[in-house]
Amino acid sequence: MVMEEMVFDLRGRICPSTLLVAMKEMNDHRQQLQQGTVRLRLLLENRDATVTIPEMARNMGYQVEISKQGQHYELVIGEPA
Amino acid sequence: MNGSQLIILLGQLLLGMAAGFVMHRADFCMTGIFRDLFLFGRRTMLYALLLLMTCLVLLYTLAQGLGILLYPFPLFGAPSLANLLGGVLFGIGMVLAGGCVVGSLYRMGGGSTLSATAVIGLIVGSLLYVELDGWWLPIGQSLSLGSSAITLPQLLQLPPWLISLVLLTVTVPLLLLWWRRGLLQVPFGPEGHLQPWMAALLLALIAFLSTLLAGIPLGVTTSYAKLAGYLLLPLAPEHVATLGYFQRQGLDFSHPLLGIRLTGGGGPRLDGIALIQLPLMAGLVAGGALSALRLGELQWYFKAPRRQYLSAFCGGLVMGLASRLAPACNIWHLTGGLPIMALQSILFVAGLLPGTWLGVQLLTRLVVRSE
Repeated sequence: MVMEEMVFDLRGRICPSTLLVAMKEMNDHRQQLQQGTVRLRLLLENRDATVTIPEMARNMGYQVEISKQGQHYELVIGEPA
Repeated sequence: MNGSQLIILLGQLLLGMAAGFVMHRADFCMTGIFRDLFLFGRRTMLYALLLLMTCLVLLYTLAQGLGILLYPFPLFGAPSLANLLGGVLFGIGMVLAGGCVVGSLYRMGGGSTLSATAVIGLIVGSLLYVELDGWWLPIGQSLSLGSSAITLPQLLQLPPWLISLVLLTVTVPLLLLWWRRGLLQVPFGPEGHLQPWMAALLLALIAFLSTLLAGIPLGVTTSYAKLAGYLLLPLAPEHVATLGYFQRQGLDFSHPLLGIRLTGGGGPRLDGIALIQLPLMAGLVAGGALSALRLGELQWYFKAPRRQYLSAFCGGLVMGLASRLAPACNIWHLTGGLPIMALQSILFVAGLLPGTWLGVQLLTRLVVRSE
């Protein structure tokens, strides 16, 4: 199965648009995320979002990986946990 | 400058830096606390705020009992519906700006261009109030509730320690319960993250030390007007001299610890307000910058959609206006007035909640759109 990765560069956005965009994308791609055909990669600089987005994503049943890449953070939201 | 003034200046600078550093590490955003409650039903940071305020209830009650802090604090006055109205407007403004008067400073230090835009809006909004002051003053006076009591204990004619004891009896068991359930911490965090409970304890200590040192609680909004005055002064010195707000001296008290008299107001002068607030503001920016620098996260981004910059500016402008109408800001009322049950602060917070809700409606409908 081919895994599609969707990348969203949300650095420098107003609070809490990062979380709102993440929630919208998780909802819009719920089926593909559950089937494991899509994963979302979010580029963030907002430290608060590295707390709130994983919290929401795990509550919705998805796996989340967080890593620091230089000056920003990357969150990968993928297959069901 | 005498020795006492130097102690206040350096102390406020260091405490501002410490506050900015802690707020950046924990992203202890007062706007987010109220906004996320309405937007996502998220309560973790609200619990942490209650921990912060509970610590301050205890510390202020002890310090005021010992006579090392004035009761009530200087600058607090009789309640007015203007406090409620100011709270509503402030709530709208802080949500649109993406941060409050203090949050915008530490985030600006951390590299947020949106927060820097909100700070510009705050200065412009403060100036707008100064221009409207003559028109607003009689309206504001007509909104007085006619009570001479400044705090709830004064209104109820009860000793302040008794009201504090009642508050602590309610909040301490609740906090213990939330602590046992793990609700004062979060499971994930970025590098160098401070847990909400730790940030709340540190900020309570910083707020208390700053209040001891300055004689008045944490607050910065009068100095936004002061900065506006400094910017306007070289352009229109005669006009500045005619503006009533810039001539008034709201602050006038004898410092109970240092024994000096502090006076000041919103005008462009190096007075007591400048001594207390300007180093605090500079410290907040520097603390946010220092934290971001040490984490290797100091980076200026200019990529936000234009409507977000417009929102930050308008939000700052509304906050600047509201903080003069209220008077003062969320930090002043939440970490200063509410722990001593100041009636102005109770009204301000009663307005802040619906204001935040209104701000959330505007933000989600007009500002944050699908990408």
